[in-house]
Amino acid sequence: MSTQHPSRAPRRRMPVNRRQFLGAGGAGALAAVLASCIGGGQSAQQGTDSGEAGGALQWWDQFRPLTQMLEDELFTPYTSANPGVTVERRELAAADLGQALQVARRSNQLPDVHSLAGLDAAPAALVSEGWFQPVGDHADFDSSPIADLLFDGVHRFDGSVYSFPLFSPRQHATIPWYNSALLEEAGLDPDDEPTTWDDLRAVARAVTEGTDASGIFLPAQNPDYLSAIVTQLAMTAGAPGPIDWTTGEYVHDSQPFVDAVEFLLSLQRDGLVHPASPAMIPRDALARWAAGEGAIFPWGPWFIGDLVTESPEVVERGLGCWSIPRPNEERTSVRSAPSGGVFWVSVDSEHPEVAADLLLQMTGQDFQAALASAMDQPPALLEAVETADVHPAYRDCVARFAEDVRIAPSPEIGHPDAWRVTAEMRPVQPTIGILVQSALSGADIDIAAELRTYREAVSVERERALAAVQADGVDIDLDAWVFPNWEPESDYTIEAYDAR
Amino acid sequence: MTTSVDRVAGPAPARRPPGVLRRLRKDWWIYLFLLPTVLGYGAYTVYPLVASWWFALLDWPGFADQGTFVGIENFERLVADDLFWNSFRNSLVFLVCAVPLRVGLALVLALLLNRRNTPFKGFLRTLYFLPVVTTGAIIGVAFTLLLDAGGPISLALVESGLLDSPVNFVADTGTSLFSGAAVWVWKWLGITMIYWLAALQTIPQEVHEAAMIDGAGPGREFVHITLPLLIPFLVIITLIDTVGALNVFDLLYTLTAGGPAFSSEVIEIFIFRTAFGATVPQLGYASAAAVLFGLITMGIAVAQALGVRWARRATGAMR
Repeated sequence: MSTQHPSRAPRRRMPVNRRQFLGAGGAGALAAVLASCIGGGQSAQQGTDSGEAGGALQWWDQFRPLTQMLEDELFTPYTSANPGVTVERRELAAADLGQALQVARRSNQLPDVHSLAGLDAAPAALVSEGWFQPVGDHADFDSSPIADLLFDGVHRFDGSVYSFPLFSPRQHATIPWYNSALLEEAGLDPDDEPTTWDDLRAVARAVTEGTDASGIFLPAQNPDYLSAIVTQLAMTAGAPGPIDWTTGEYVHDSQPFVDAVEFLLSLQRDGLVHPASPAMIPRDALARWAAGEGAIFPWGPWFIGDLVTESPEVVERGLGCWSIPRPNEERTSVRSAPSGGVFWVSVDSEHPEVAADLLLQMTGQDFQAALASAMDQPPALLEAVETADVHPAYRDCVARFAEDVRIAPSPEIGHPDAWRVTAEMRPVQPTIGILVQSALSGADIDIAAELRTYREAVSVERERALAAVQADGVDIDLDAWVFPNWEPESDYTIEAYDAR
Repeated sequence: MTTSVDRVAGPAPARRPPGVLRRLRKDWWIYLFLLPTVLGYGAYTVYPLVASWWFALLDWPGFADQGTFVGIENFERLVADDLFWNSFRNSLVFLVCAVPLRVGLALVLALLLNRRNTPFKGFLRTLYFLPVVTTGAIIGVAFTLLLDAGGPISLALVESGLLDSPVNFVADTGTSLFSGAAVWVWKWLGITMIYWLAALQTIPQEVHEAAMIDGAGPGREFVHITLPLLIPFLVIITLIDTVGALNVFDLLYTLTAGGPAFSSEVIEIFIFRTAFGATVPQLGYASAAAVLFGLITMGIAVAQALGVRWARRATGAMR
């Protein structure tokens, strides 16, 4: 091993040595990373002005079927007529929107305009927490075509309009949509409507036995879907709704609710339900219905709008709907609460006047007709459907709503502080949807006893919430849930609130 | 020699360690390089951890700017909440069923793939590792279809006579949690197998040869030679897999969403549902559940650490 080193030329002193270079490089990289963390979350406050007369509006909602319609019928015409205004819409899944809004609120990154999916239990609570600014101060909603549908405690707070109903309350989510081809293959006439639960069962059986498809879908992974179906079927069996408005008491354990659950379970027992239903959410069921795996799928009016957006060829194949079935020939209506506000202007918005003006356009006849054409939820101005360019099945569906649905009272409209109790109430588990999900998945449970337990738990929770609100000095009691002049087969109008 | 020199020279005079400021000035670049990690760790791990303790003491609806201090009320509610204990029990059942299965199956696979005469070893290693690099949420969605009553697994079991009628594995209260555990084991088997393969490489070939010369068959060799030498690795691998079994949100949420009827709701899904899924989000209550869960996880980690120490001592004594 040699110990001699080759002679080296003397090193030139570098102006920056390796360590200094790496240190400086690291510092630069860190600065770049920190700088990149600052941008990216454009909030209403950070929206860049595009002109003196307007601004860039951030808009979040969950309405996928409305994507094209909003662009064509609202944003483009409005921005064309108002140079300097731009709208940047972001569509999120309904389940994600509530989370995104919570996070955005805490980081001051709320968009200018947004819907409330996931946080719509008590909009009044959000108003009281200062989430929104009133739109009525910037645009005249009280003179708009939907003025009659604006209610204190739902859309108007302390005399100011904060939002407006975009959709009609006259709707429900238990419309039996059918696949015409499968019914005909089973030897059935789609026009021969099954009006009773037993009739529907017979149709589902004929399809199951006469074709390779299943009779009916009951997507059970979403408990909220099941809760809605059970409650609406129970109303056709005579239940007033979750609450008996003449007494204010919950009635989840009444016989109509038990019968509705038993009806769904009997479909399952008879082997008429698509075997994968327990693991499906409604959108899965829609995809499988479109694939021809089953004939009937009870869902809302947006069913056909979703199909037109995602599988238009299925609509061409042939479909239709019937009225919600009932236990016997006697027609009993389904009750639905007044429609809440859909779009709200955030308190962070620097362009509330532009946002309010844009929202006002949605209350006009033209936009309402365009909204009907998207075949999502029916528009607030229900008559717009009659002249709109819609599929005949959608028009039929909305016409059935006019016959079958009545508007129920709302404690939030009847009492200015009822929302405080609603906001204070904690979720009670297991819900009706969870109970039905459990029973449909094979658990051996006593439905009547479980519904009774649920009703008692919800009643106790409301009393606790009521006591908590009363302890804050608010003057409210259980009478806020009592509407003695309520008629089950009539709409509960604003005059009825006044006469209470 | 060094010792004698030291003796001659005597003990060196005690030198005061340099002060913090002097060290900072001297080695500033070390701390500069540490800064991004410290900032990131502080912002995304330490701060949420500390904040969640404070949040746990608040009644905080998600739509409010801030919560109201309620002391330990959230913890009192948790103790009385059947669904919390249901999810806690599900997490434990998941842990107890899935971790031994994953560790054991991976060991068997590693032993097979470690044998010289096993064919296609490279191909099989890749095959078993493939699910590891696949997103958990995608696997959850795919297995929802594979495991439903009309899916190929159920139909194959019916065809083979093992089942009388199709079963919806992910939507049955009796099977949903175990289905989730099985899918989780399948997904992560490959990485545990790699750990075991690495551990097996540490056993000297001479030991195996000595055992063979002494007449030990494969079974005795495994029990008396391989297994004892793998025990320290067993503890570490079990610890890693246990931590993994407490982080199954993406897979289980997409596979069962915690259902049906909370039958597969593990504690992470409970926390998520309470914080974001409810109509009135309860951030304080969810934080309390997370804190309690964190404490329990910490307890498990401490138990594991004690196990590692015991195993090391035992192995040292054996040597």
